[in-house]
Amino acid sequence: MLLADFGTSYCKFWDTTTAAPLLIPTKEIKPGLKVDIATGHNGKRLASRYVNELTALARGGNVLIDADHYTLMDCGSRDIKFIRYDQGKTKNMGWNAECGASMGFTIELLERYYNLDFTTMQVPESSFSVTCGVLGMSHIFDAVVNGASEAEAVAKFVKGIALNAYNFAGSPETLYLSGGLCHNPLFVASFPCKVVCLGRFVLLQGLKVTYDGQTFS
Amino acid sequence: MKTCPHKKQIGIVGVPPLAIIEQLEADGDTIFDLDEPIVKRDIEIASSYLPRVFCAILRTVVINAISLKPDRIYIDVGPGKCDCALHTATILKDILPETIIATTRNQDKKDFGTPLCTSRMPLLDKVSAITRSVQSARPHKDLPACAPTAGFWGVPPRDFSLLSLFPDTTHVYGWTRCMENKTPDHQSLEELCNPDIPTVFFAQSFCAKTALARHLANRHPHGLYVDCDVTAGNSTKAKIQAFLELSSL
Repeated sequence: MLLADFGTSYCKFWDTTTAAPLLIPTKEIKPGLKVDIATGHNGKRLASRYVNELTALARGGNVLIDADHYTLMDCGSRDIKFIRYDQGKTKNMGWNAECGASMGFTIELLERYYNLDFTTMQVPESSFSVTCGVLGMSHIFDAVVNGASEAEAVAKFVKGIALNAYNFAGSPETLYLSGGLCHNPLFVASFPCKVVCLGRFVLLQGLKVTYDGQTFS
Repeated sequence: MKTCPHKKQIGIVGVPPLAIIEQLEADGDTIFDLDEPIVKRDIEIASSYLPRVFCAILRTVVINAISLKPDRIYIDVGPGKCDCALHTATILKDILPETIIATTRNQDKKDFGTPLCTSRMPLLDKVSAITRSVQSARPHKDLPACAPTAGFWGVPPRDFSLLSLFPDTTHVYGWTRCMENKTPDHQSLEELCNPDIPTVFFAQSFCAKTALARHLANRHPHGLYVDCDVTAGNSTKAKIQAFLELSSL
């Protein structure tokens, strides 16, 4: 069975006969591809069965998180979404595809444009007020014009995105984080709370357990 | 839309008092529920008269009113509806000089019961039947109550498509329940909900009821607060769908 999480920038695939999932840039996906079960914004077109992204996230979290009270947030290229469990029941959830748009995408774009290395950058003391990746970029350009280094300005932008996501998720004491931004140490360190990174494949895990109760290591 | 030229065209907003509905029925007038999207025109047309950041139901009322130009509009204001309706009535008086704009304050206390709210039926059909029942003064037909598996609390949404996500065994609460009971100003009935079933607390964006909806959702052991504006987007629908799916985990 082929499972897929069709993201905006990257697609995650898991052939359940193999041990581990694969990561492929979305622009490299071949036309006509069809999978068995999918989630993600292109999933309905490319799969026999589609699972809602929030459902896949929650079910993946249920497998990976050993607690009955937690907040799990997925930060993707184009949107952010979270689910909160309290006493083992869904207590709240949110999906911000408009005001939180393009945050992950913009961070990756800035890294390439300014040739930055997020693994070596320090978390700044202050941040920009960022509600949207596109609108937030103007803060960077203004700061650079006013004498800030490009790295310093981008770091403030990244911290602003993290704070916005943190507030959107309800300001939890501990945040379980899903998505490609788990691999961005500046972003992870910018949260004002404990962050537990679960990686890119939480939604795939949710697809897997939804239909056959198995897990991958 | 075909209408009889001899009958008066009457628009209603909210739930007018029973005495008015009885009179309209006796006179055989044609009633239009202006809260619903009757006229297929771009809602942005309403922005000439109301702010864009405003209740989508009342923006729809304006679109319907300026398009249909009824002979008379009964617009309920006050505790059974909202201040926004009061101000919309003022605006309609200005922009529709040929139409009589009559404001009402429905404080009817006679309980008609809520058989539709607790029946087994697709939620979209259920809420449609409840909104239609506002145009009649007749008692409701008896319907057997079903065992509920989910709850919908709130007002009839501007976009009924979100109701199709719920199971047929969804019980209806909030102001929609007050509508069926023909008591729109009934605070305790409006605050009623069932703590034993997963419940979506819905309000239109920019409506004062968003405060009550979110408050009740936070207090409910298994509640989800949702608001949306003109149409329910994919993320709103996905939240409701996931909440209902995950409630059966």
